[in-house]
Amino acid sequence: MTAGNAAAPARAPVGKLGEGAFKDKEKPTHIRMSNIEAAKAVADAVRTSLGPKGMDKMIRDDKGNVTITNDGATILQRMKVLHPAARMLVELSKAQDIEAGDGTTTVVVVCGALLEAAKQLLSHSIHPTKISDAFQRAATEAIKVIESMKIEFDLSNKEAMMKACATSLSSKVINTHSVQMSELCSSAVLKVADPEKNSLDLKDIKIVAKVGGTLDDTELVDGLCLDNNAMGTTRRMEKAKVALIQFQLSPPKTDMENQVVINDYSQMDRVLKEERQYTLNLVKAIKKSGANVLLVQKSILRDAISDLAIHYLNKLKIMVIKDIERTDVPFLCKTLGCHPVASADHFTPESLANVDLVEEVAIGGESNCTKFTGIQNAGKTVSILIRASNENLLAEADRSIHDALCVLRCLVKQRALVAGGGAVESELALRLGQRAKEIGGVDGYCLQRYAEAMEVVPYTLAENAALNPIEVVTELRKRHNAGEFNAGINVRKAGVSNMHREDVLQPMLVSTSMINLATETVRSILKIDDIVNVVGRG
Amino acid sequence: MAMAMNPIQVLQNGAEEEKAETARLSSFVGAIAIGDLVKSTLGPRGMDKILYSPTGQYGNGEPSVQVTNDGATILRSCGVDNPAAKILCELSKVQDDEVGDGTTSVTVFASELLREAERLVELKIHPHTIIRGWKKAVAVAREALNESAVDNQADPEQFKEDLFNIARTTLSSKLLTQHKDFFAKICVDAILKIRDDPKSTLESIQIIKKLGASLESSFLDEGFLLDKTPGQNQPRRVENARVLLANTAMDTDKIKVFGSRVRTNDIKSLAEIEAAEKEKMKEKVEKICKYDMNVFINRQLIYNYPEQLFADNKVMAIEHADFEGIERLALVLGGEIVSTFDNAENVKIGKCDLIEEVMIGEDKLLRFSGVSQGQACSLVLRGATEQILDEAERAIHDVLCVLYSTIKETRTVYGGGCSEALMAQAVQVLVEESEGKEQHAIQSFANALRQLPTIMADNAGLDSADLIAKLRAEHAKGNKHAGLDLYNGCVASMDDLKVTESFKVKRQVLLSGHEGAEMIMRVDDILKSAPRQRAPDRCM
Repeated sequence: MTAGNAAAPARAPVGKLGEGAFKDKEKPTHIRMSNIEAAKAVADAVRTSLGPKGMDKMIRDDKGNVTITNDGATILQRMKVLHPAARMLVELSKAQDIEAGDGTTTVVVVCGALLEAAKQLLSHSIHPTKISDAFQRAATEAIKVIESMKIEFDLSNKEAMMKACATSLSSKVINTHSVQMSELCSSAVLKVADPEKNSLDLKDIKIVAKVGGTLDDTELVDGLCLDNNAMGTTRRMEKAKVALIQFQLSPPKTDMENQVVINDYSQMDRVLKEERQYTLNLVKAIKKSGANVLLVQKSILRDAISDLAIHYLNKLKIMVIKDIERTDVPFLCKTLGCHPVASADHFTPESLANVDLVEEVAIGGESNCTKFTGIQNAGKTVSILIRASNENLLAEADRSIHDALCVLRCLVKQRALVAGGGAVESELALRLGQRAKEIGGVDGYCLQRYAEAMEVVPYTLAENAALNPIEVVTELRKRHNAGEFNAGINVRKAGVSNMHREDVLQPMLVSTSMINLATETVRSILKIDDIVNVVGRG
Repeated sequence: MAMAMNPIQVLQNGAEEEKAETARLSSFVGAIAIGDLVKSTLGPRGMDKILYSPTGQYGNGEPSVQVTNDGATILRSCGVDNPAAKILCELSKVQDDEVGDGTTSVTVFASELLREAERLVELKIHPHTIIRGWKKAVAVAREALNESAVDNQADPEQFKEDLFNIARTTLSSKLLTQHKDFFAKICVDAILKIRDDPKSTLESIQIIKKLGASLESSFLDEGFLLDKTPGQNQPRRVENARVLLANTAMDTDKIKVFGSRVRTNDIKSLAEIEAAEKEKMKEKVEKICKYDMNVFINRQLIYNYPEQLFADNKVMAIEHADFEGIERLALVLGGEIVSTFDNAENVKIGKCDLIEEVMIGEDKLLRFSGVSQGQACSLVLRGATEQILDEAERAIHDVLCVLYSTIKETRTVYGGGCSEALMAQAVQVLVEESEGKEQHAIQSFANALRQLPTIMADNAGLDSADLIAKLRAEHAKGNKHAGLDLYNGCVASMDDLKVTESFKVKRQVLLSGHEGAEMIMRVDDILKSAPRQRAPDRCM
């Protein structure tokens, strides 16, 4: 064998692909397709819950508990999806939830449509990275289009806030109460928002959900509402002085293990007496400080408060509320303007909060809640008390109010609104389609598909509202082509109308983040060509 | 004499041996499989992999999904059983530790060398001949790489530009490629901050991940950020802070004797002991407060009672700063971590100009600015999902590692397959000159080098056969800057496109790739020791 012969085969393209060395191999294509199919299946699952006439899903977990919701993020979270690519869609809706708090269903549906488009493009043997780049470009163009549609807004405009809230709530179970709820959420947000910093900490809004009553009874508590009820007999206190204690009112317990050895009967008596004395001394110390409402922090080491202590406190007409979580302490301090007291000899007048009225409110059922009203030097916080006739409705109302609050937070962060009801997506389909024709080439082709995929939102909205989707979508196209960029689907009137005039508005951030996140997810799914199973970690 | 008829058993029961050809074959197969696994992630148009863990990354039973194209991460996660494949995984790990980048390249290069070697072995060329040939080739390639390296250390502006270009090149293969200019600038700024300070290491650059907003909202912040808040009613802002770092129990000082307990006859004395315990805590806090300090940071929890005592003393007390956090703080503040508080004089107190709360997204963090080791800085990453943040962190880590090694070894080379083609060209010349069988081996080395740009072109969906031929021709003509422009699918000058890479990374890829392949080549026998018998469970 000569040297020349040896070198020749060595230089042939590796991988035994022969002349087609630049072609994609079979396995990556297969994986990509299976990823796309799996992700699309997830998107299809939530499609029917999109929009104001969307349907709800009933989800039963392995313990038999039932959740009824049409919140995309919640549905996906509970679905226990296993396929890795499908899980990325779950993550996507979670991300939208974090970023914008609303539009969690829309983002998944749009992502599904984009994947369908990508699949078709792949079948035309366009390289995945080409599609990926074109989609990124499309997203950039899309954001520009959305920005050109925005309606300016400022925080003094409570009406606009309410409209945005109402749009978000319209798709939920509680849509019959949307006026009341949007009023409530807007007032809550206006109270805690910091207009200078563009920030809104939702932790400043405490939501207490209680079964019983109806949604009409849901209220905004100006002051503080606690889920815990008072112990003992004192249930109402005017001109209250509230103390938040972090020590325990129970028999002493050392940090080292302890044991009280009792040898005879008389000793037993003495031990009992001493215990009483000990508790009484603590209670007296509290009384001396002037406090008449006591909030007791939960303790994991021992009883936070013994029955004996409650008895004494009641005798001294001190109201007791126990089981305050440690994580709630900062919120309470901020709301009441009090300082927590960590030991009985640390009571100072400043550590107490003055409240006009502390009252336990009977709301039926076993558990009551306690309201604090007329707090002097109160912090910027509010409480919302949600009431509903059953657990499921209550949980859904809680989620819906959370969504509405998130929508408002978006507005505080970025003060712009756009028209809802599929108006944005229809406009995107039109304008991106026009742009696609200007660009041409592979990019233009991909952009065209991207634009078409956007129409899934109005299409699905119409479908869910039992309208003729083809008729509605074509009507929308016509209107948008004529320059009516706010035209969207009016579900109430079963037709197409100007969404701005119908007061169907949503924050711009919801739309922009939807485009960004959906595109990002599609791009990362396209870029994946293999699934590696991780073994043995922990 | 019946024994003589039985096969003689040398190895322990359960142990296995693979010999000569079988051993070599299993090495080749394993190594090539690993190379094929990661090679599609190579280059700016490389693909990603899903790492799917059914039991979850953190052992919480929730299935978790990771999306990455970092070679080291992929290889670390997939369990391999083949010894040769293990060696390649190690190779990428070492590359990660050593220079931080080129983890995929080194694995792919080694496996391509072995793929060539397999063919040569089939042609009955002895492994040692191949190794000899490779040795000669690697020396020539290294020489060529050395010659092509550019050193711009003397010109700070030019050097900064170099760093920027290197960062861009590294980022172009990562998730952050859309924002590569943005992140390249952040990374270069961070590196230049710690550059002139001998005390600073990569440790001084802290990466904090915060969910929310988008990648473009990431930023570089002066000083050190700690994801903690001070206790209730304690000062929220401290100027001229003197920080005492501690690792001590702030619940109680327990006697660490098993079974120690308090035994009393009545509740009163129990209450007294409880009071004594409390008093002891109070003393401890008083002792701590005697130090010349106004900020106290503890690694362990601080309970409510001491927290309030600190609040009374107007000391900012931060509990539960995790292990890494407190070590880093000790480093950047120049303090030491104490656990007993008896000698107030001998303790070094950490210092910084200002501690204040800053808002990042929804969360409040503490910022330590003007730290005594002035070069510390924090890089805050924002992103929409955990996966994006994790991948971004890996990418930033790679970039920082590369830049850090570049400020130590300031030479740079051209990327985009340029250096590989250049080396291959130099080796090709050697092929013609050398006599004997080694020639085949040297030729195979050149081929393996050329595979790297070939794979990059393949990943980008380009006609690699055409492009590589063009690239080869350019280099043969002496055009030393020619490389692949994977965005436009043509051969272009890397000097114009500013695709630069760290010399150290390239050299490391060449040397350790070769070393790994050589090591595997030398193997002609694989011994598997018998699995250790499990001791029978006594409870059964």
